[in-house]
Amino acid sequence: MNKLITNQPRTERRLSPTARRSGNILTMVLEQMCSEIFSYWRVPEFLVGTVIIPVILFLMFGANVSAVLPEGTAVKALLMASFAAYGIVNLAIFTFGGDIAAERGRGWLRLMRATPVPAWVYFAGKFALVALFGAAILLVVFVAGYLTGVRLGLETWAKAFFTLLLGSLSFSTLGFALGFLARPRAASTIANLVFLPLSFASGFFFPLNQLPQFLQKLAPYLPTYHFGQLAWGSIGTPSDVARFTNQPPESALGHVLWLLGGFLAFGVLAVWGYRRDRGEQLR
Amino acid sequence: MKVIELQNVGKRYGEVQALSGVNLSVEPGEVVAFLGPNGAGKTTAIGIMLGLKTPSSGKVRLLGQNPESPEVRGRVGVMLQESGVPENLTVEELVRLFGCYYPYALPVEEVLSRADLRGKRRAFVRQLSGGQRQRLYFALSIIGDPDVIFLDEPTVAMDVEARKAFWEQVQGFAALGKTILFSTHYLDEADQAASRIVVIHKGQVLGSGTPAEIKSLVAAKTVRLQTELSAEEATRYPGVERAERENGHLVVYSNAPEVFLQRLFLQGHKVSDLTVKDTDLEAAFVRLTA
Repeated sequence: MNKLITNQPRTERRLSPTARRSGNILTMVLEQMCSEIFSYWRVPEFLVGTVIIPVILFLMFGANVSAVLPEGTAVKALLMASFAAYGIVNLAIFTFGGDIAAERGRGWLRLMRATPVPAWVYFAGKFALVALFGAAILLVVFVAGYLTGVRLGLETWAKAFFTLLLGSLSFSTLGFALGFLARPRAASTIANLVFLPLSFASGFFFPLNQLPQFLQKLAPYLPTYHFGQLAWGSIGTPSDVARFTNQPPESALGHVLWLLGGFLAFGVLAVWGYRRDRGEQLR
Repeated sequence: MKVIELQNVGKRYGEVQALSGVNLSVEPGEVVAFLGPNGAGKTTAIGIMLGLKTPSSGKVRLLGQNPESPEVRGRVGVMLQESGVPENLTVEELVRLFGCYYPYALPVEEVLSRADLRGKRRAFVRQLSGGQRQRLYFALSIIGDPDVIFLDEPTVAMDVEARKAFWEQVQGFAALGKTILFSTHYLDEADQAASRIVVIHKGQVLGSGTPAEIKSLVAAKTVRLQTELSAEEATRYPGVERAERENGHLVVYSNAPEVFLQRLFLQGHKVSDLTVKDTDLEAAFVRLTA
């Protein structure tokens, strides 16, 4: 019986006279990206929370620091990188984690699954959002740094900018794992519970050399710490950064490998969460 | 050439048997109503037809294929009960975005007018009333010019006027030769909009037929009154499907209560404590199964 059905001729496509060809993959991705960006651009709380808070923290706790390290790196420049790193990780975890959980809870993801749009298009929209708002965070913090006296070579500014922006990618899978595993209502609380201690213990709010010993020992096991190291390393000399963080110098490659390892580990978790969520809908 | 085909489909959630032995076969161009009270299994059945849920037993074919295949998804439109679309997009932006998802799309302008949303095109989703929101979901369900659309309880949050207008929009789309399956718990709605009604209760299909056939099984109105007329005599009155005595009241199930009441008054029967209500579907179904 089943065989008979599968071998049936396909039912006829009944196009309306006004229907036009659509579904171009490039247009689909671009429209998805624009929709994500527009829909958050219109939420002032989102702009303030992600773009304005890092610069306010920098102006309060970093801009008035005038110390200079032995090899000439200004502590203020390193603090600027710290608050920028905080802003980037915050954006990544809340966009990739909190938002996805919320949209899953509201039924938006289920509706999208009932359409022919491939799942990766949805994720591409989130990446575009993080790239654009991440760039905005960095621009605002860097401009504030410049106006309060941070002076770096053009090449150094660019290096810091791209290191921080690309670093946001490494937290995408942590966010996805959270987005698909956390219960929708609990997700933003969990994001805070995960992310604030991570930021603090990685020296984003206060330099690591001012934190208690046990946190200094813990930090090298946190992905955020390695992200911070890359950011500081893009601005200061290795021995100045070592003094600033009170950690032995390590090669940039080591930090990149740590981030990559975290990316893959959380990636496995995220895929598991995604499948589980899909399974729950398939039940 | 069936559009939808369910063969002996069952669905179990742990201890709960949500659906059992459901057979359904829908031809191109049919407008089918799934009629049943809340919790009857309508949403589960629609989820299975769409490939959003996998059945515990039985076979499902949509447009002759596996409902999860991308090709089928491109020819199917849906309106789910919970569709938390992005609140900060405008109606027009969202409709256009959805159009990009499908291999073919109707012009945005046409869809907005079919869903009566032209005046709201620049409104943000968050500013829409419950009824407007449902119309937006309808617009999203037709933008891909689908061959078949599924509407799960589409008229919740609509008043009577809005409901009537909504079904006119659906008829307009059906007129393009499309197949439509919707769920509802209102008999009059199923009667008005569908060419075939499938009655579903407690996860089972109780019956299937034209609206006229179904209405003769489930009378639309319940008349309750105190009178000396016996149930047996009442059954012989015009317009009465069934009558019974209940706690000193005569209860009459009818599709034309005015005809019955007119005759009753003409014959000078003493009547008090009279109410006419829409038949409680759940109660009616229980009787059907009993």
